[in-house]
Amino acid sequence: MNRDHHQELLNAIQQADRAGANAIIEDWAAGHSYPQVVPDLLSPTLEAFGRLWAHREIGFSLATGYVAAKVAEDVLARLLEEAGAHGKAQAPLKGPVVLGNVEDDFHPLGRKMVGAFLRADGWEVHDLGVDVTPVQFLDAAEAHGARVIGASAMMHTTAKNAAKLREELERRGQAGRIQLALGGAVFKLRPELVATFGGDGTAPSAVEAPALFERLWQCATAYRGEAAP
Amino acid sequence: MTSGTRPIRCLACSIFKQEIEALRAAGRLDLPVSYLNSMLHMVPERLETRLQAALATAREEAPEATVVLAYGDCCGHMEELEQEPGTRRTEGINCCEILLGSETYRALRREGAFFLMPEWALGWKKIFVNQLGLLGPCAREFMREMHSRLIYLDTGILPVPEAELAEASAFLGLPVEVRPVSLDPLLASLEQAGRAARAHDTE
Repeated sequence: MNRDHHQELLNAIQQADRAGANAIIEDWAAGHSYPQVVPDLLSPTLEAFGRLWAHREIGFSLATGYVAAKVAEDVLARLLEEAGAHGKAQAPLKGPVVLGNVEDDFHPLGRKMVGAFLRADGWEVHDLGVDVTPVQFLDAAEAHGARVIGASAMMHTTAKNAAKLREELERRGQAGRIQLALGGAVFKLRPELVATFGGDGTAPSAVEAPALFERLWQCATAYRGEAAP
Repeated sequence: MTSGTRPIRCLACSIFKQEIEALRAAGRLDLPVSYLNSMLHMVPERLETRLQAALATAREEAPEATVVLAYGDCCGHMEELEQEPGTRRTEGINCCEILLGSETYRALRREGAFFLMPEWALGWKKIFVNQLGLLGPCAREFMREMHSRLIYLDTGILPVPEAELAEASAFLGLPVEVRPVSLDPLLASLEQAGRAARAHDTE
């Protein structure tokens, strides 16, 4: 009997079963090649998960979001390990980008999930952690040549500090050249705050962050008058 | 506590119930308080709806009263709620910052602390397992990745729930520390919010 690995993987993530999810991926990869896991199994499953997560379907909790991100990290680690074993270790294909929680925000989960999904999608991610000042964000972005900063905030009080990040972008003449992605619980509840606090875009879930960063990277590239690769 | 000649009433999260009632019993706080269930925190939209309804009820029952909200920034439109005439909120991002004060709260968060308030310490399993879905190895992995230790904020009202803390520590894979905290910052925050509500009301 043919197994529906996509549904099984979705179910395992929904049950926050990281080991079970990885076993399903291993089983699928045995009949394919491991590098095909991302485009053919993981990405479509995470997209389905992201849609359910965004609609807050029953059974999707903080734990399931965490496990989805960890499974993406596990697959990425396995891919890097395989590539290294075959002497084909590759640098990330996209980015670099910078992530962090805005100043005074100490809620790392969403940011870590975004980082995991970006890395699994081939992005070079520099994660600055929690409580990051505007100066720290911009210093890191300039040092690494990042064209997108992803800033996370959970509450309205701390989300206001994203406006200070926008001010620092403007002060350094980097507005447009570096795009600002804003995310976190309060932006999910009140997406209008993204524009209020100077963000260039947001995504309804961490799973959808790669598409957002792709779009913002293209905006930054166009702003610089460069041709997209 | 009155706001000039106008009485003050308080809408509070039940996370503060033991502490506020202790302040009232000791004669340090004199105002009527209504409590909303702290579990509403898990669904901010629902908290917001219930808080709006509670505010409307408070105004109907006592149109002359100003209202202090004993809450952190716990729902998306809290700022709008506290900007209504004659209304102010206790200062702080959340209940832990209100109890600890800003400086201590931030220093401990930077160290990776996860706080357990007395009410939630007693029902920790319901929150972590039923609400957040953290089960088995996932619970430990998650907490160890995000945090360095649990800190129980001992307000001195209830006995320290040693057994529950030990169980939570084992389940979540983090050491637990008991930190005595004074009720003075909470009282000061309630009084400050009362003064601000009065000023807000007469603007």
